Amino acid sequence: MSNHEAVKRVPGAGLAKGLAVTFRTLLRRSVTAQYPEVKPALPARSRGAIALLEENCTSCMLCARECPDWCIYIDSHKETLPAPEGGRERARNVLDRFAIDFSLCMYCGICIEVCPFDALFWTPEFEYAEYDIRDLLHEKDRLREWMWTVPPPPENDPSGAVPKEITTAERTAGPLTPGAGGDRDGGSEGGAGE
Amino acid sequence: MGVNGGPVDLPDPRVGALSRVAPKPVRYVLNWGRRYSLWVFNFGLACCAIEFISTSMSRHDFIRFGVIPFAPGPRQADLMVVSGTVSDKMAPAVRRLYEQMPDPKYVISFGACSNSGGPYWDSYCVTNGVDQIVPVDVYVPGCPPRPEALLHGIVRLQEKIAGESLGERYAPVPPAAALASPLRPAPERP
Repeated sequence: MSNHEAVKRVPGAGLAKGLAVTFRTLLRRSVTAQYPEVKPALPARSRGAIALLEENCTSCMLCARECPDWCIYIDSHKETLPAPEGGRERARNVLDRFAIDFSLCMYCGICIEVCPFDALFWTPEFEYAEYDIRDLLHEKDRLREWMWTVPPPPENDPSGAVPKEITTAERTAGPLTPGAGGDRDGGSEGGAGE
Repeated sequence: MGVNGGPVDLPDPRVGALSRVAPKPVRYVLNWGRRYSLWVFNFGLACCAIEFISTSMSRHDFIRFGVIPFAPGPRQADLMVVSGTVSDKMAPAVRRLYEQMPDPKYVISFGACSNSGGPYWDSYCVTNGVDQIVPVDVYVPGCPPRPEALLHGIVRLQEKIAGESLGERYAPVPPAAALASPLRPAPERP
């Protein structure tokens, strides 16, 4: 007879048990992150926004074509460099406009993966809520400013293979540093943030 | 209920004229009160709602900002957070619940889908942005945005409330043609 046993319990035992939980929680440290005062420590790979290293962009349109949302806008024109002594004139693309519509972007990172010249990077920046939806279309100057918030690339695995950039350089020019070979700190190509 | 048991035509709840033409110090106090007691009503339609719930929980805890997630319904709420894909079927409900909220009311569009349709912008059944049916105050980008991004959007909204004048906010509605904004032109080519 569970009902009969329930009657025989000490009155207020449940209340005391509940208050004990409350008291224990009272002594514990709060888990609340104090966001506007304390910025969150975000991992280096978090997908906050997409930054553009404009100097690396050749306006090849690969990112705009691969974007599932079609939220990248690129305008460019061809510029012909004058012929040097005994050569012919060269044409190159000049980027006029690079804009990402962050109201449409689904943060899949395909543009960053397909970029063959390492011009696009993730930045953990997330504070860009706007009052007008048109302000969420960020032009290349804003995307270039975000480059300064891109974290440095991860260190190479010390037990991994030597990066092929270093082995190629060593094959042509000999050991890069005296006593090198095991020295692998020079492999951070694509210097992000600079 | 009326005498015949039918519905009664009540006037629309509006912000009073006294509140609209109040002098500046009074407006400041009213705005100060409004910005720190935003009873929020979550229009959770998709995965972004999970981020909203995460923001309301103890780790991010937006009650610190006075955003109180216990509104019993839209009639008691000041702020609506539309988080998720607004489909064309859901759009009338969003509009209806928005209209049930008492003035002054604010809307945060949370996430790519409610900003502009997001990945579904060319779907046959998705509204391309909740701002097509209700006026939106703050757009939070992300897919989904971080909980901190919603907190930042709330802070931006509070800044907006602090500086606003209800007379301007509830001015006579301009014609629909004036609401349609022209496309932003591309920057000039060099």
